[in-house]
Amino acid sequence: MGTPIIVVRDVSHAFPGHAVPALTHIDLEVRHGEFVAIIGPSGCGKTTLLNLMAGLLPLQGGTVTIDGGSPVCGHRSIAYMLARDALLPWLTTRQNAEFGAKVVGQRAVERRERAGLLLEKVGLASFENAYPKALSHGMRQRAALARTFCLRSPILLMDEPFGALDAQTKLQLEDTLLALWQDEQRTVVFITHDLSEAIALADRVIVMTSRPGRFSAVVEIPLARPRSIRALQKSHEFHDLYLTVWSALEGGVTA
Amino acid sequence: MTGIAPAEGAASVPPLAGRPASTLLEPSMMWLGRLLLIAAVGGVWQTLANRHLINPLFFGSPVGILGSLWSGLVVKRALLPALGWTVIATLLAFGLGSAAGVACGLLFAIYPAVGRFAEPFIMAFNALPRVALAPLFILWFGLGLVSKTAVGISLCFVILLSSTVAGTRGVDPDLQTLGRTLGIGGIQGFFHITLPSAIPTIFSGLRLGLVYALLGVVSAELIGSVNGIGVELSQFAGVFDTNGVFAVLVILAVVGGLATWLMNIIESRLLHWR
Repeated sequence: MGTPIIVVRDVSHAFPGHAVPALTHIDLEVRHGEFVAIIGPSGCGKTTLLNLMAGLLPLQGGTVTIDGGSPVCGHRSIAYMLARDALLPWLTTRQNAEFGAKVVGQRAVERRERAGLLLEKVGLASFENAYPKALSHGMRQRAALARTFCLRSPILLMDEPFGALDAQTKLQLEDTLLALWQDEQRTVVFITHDLSEAIALADRVIVMTSRPGRFSAVVEIPLARPRSIRALQKSHEFHDLYLTVWSALEGGVTA
Repeated sequence: MTGIAPAEGAASVPPLAGRPASTLLEPSMMWLGRLLLIAAVGGVWQTLANRHLINPLFFGSPVGILGSLWSGLVVKRALLPALGWTVIATLLAFGLGSAAGVACGLLFAIYPAVGRFAEPFIMAFNALPRVALAPLFILWFGLGLVSKTAVGISLCFVILLSSTVAGTRGVDPDLQTLGRTLGIGGIQGFFHITLPSAIPTIFSGLRLGLVYALLGVVSAELIGSVNGIGVELSQFAGVFDTNGVFAVLVILAVVGGLATWLMNIIESRLLHWR
């Protein structure tokens, strides 16, 4: 613990045709095993930052170091999870769970065992032979979660993975994510526009503002682990933190 | 906290059997209705022909058509070898044309520059009514199997080419992003993501291609061939045997329908995940 696995130094990014840069002078260090949530209004550049870390966008200014190397697509240290499930419709739940691990060359025996275990943990064991069309939204995102965790990558980059789900399903999946994360202590960078989600999950919440995209506040979340998302909904500490982050989001007040 | 929430119930897809259906929409009733419609149209047609309200020389009659079918397929069996040649040419045209079309389409997907280069030529060829090539093919390849197969290929090829290209271009962007983050590009990404994504579109191309292969072959036979169902058709028409013409049309409709039905079965087997 303590050593940064992700280092972002003075990163700026502009999209052609836009006068205001998407990101200006972003600095960020994420420690091994840390869960960082980045929150901000839509268009604040949070996904751009994530995509720069994932190597999906070329760096324009500044440096990004991922596990000691430069960010490139297919970096073995990174597992990326999208807002939509991106399940391959021609594969069964199990095959989808194994897909990522398979294409990065994980041994068949190992990935089969891991996928089986993960499907059980996300509650899809009895649906392992179903095709995505037969699954609900929540179940599909669970399968995507299993696929992401089946990769042995120490870093998870998650781009609003639960953004499209209803409130109930979202809480369930947040719990599932925390349980999986707790088991394996990976580093997570989690993009969201949902305040309570960010606070409930993360060790540290970074608040971004838009035009140009920059960090306006960083709030440490001292809530004890392991956490139960459901129990947190009734906790005073949680709601105090909510107010802190909310005011940071509104006015840029640093906590 | 170790408790994992259970799956949120089974997917909300109700079984099809649970659909409330009026008895009129049940398959057996549906088929009965269709048969009744055919019988009614046939009955009216036969009555009109019997009473000479329509000229049987031009319009034939259902009984006459059945007679022609009976004689052509069962008694004299003159139509059977002709049908055989047409089916062989159609299958050849379909097989070769589809294989070439899909292969070219995949080539264009892997090397987009080649696709862009070839596009105007393909478009020009596609705009050309391919049946108009039949006289040329007959000149080159004679009146046998090859010339009509060539016409069928020329139709089938372009259909499969365009559906393959459309399929490989219509890949879900999320799947492409997933592939990129996993670092699979080039051939690996092609086989894992692009090709499977394109299969449904390629399949609708195949279904259309089969029908067009038959169309191309029969058209070429009408223009000139030594054998085939199209030859029989033009001979019947030439001697004002209208019942014979209708008999051939019935056969063609049945063959085309069977082919489409077969393709649907193969498709539902292969694309059961849809």
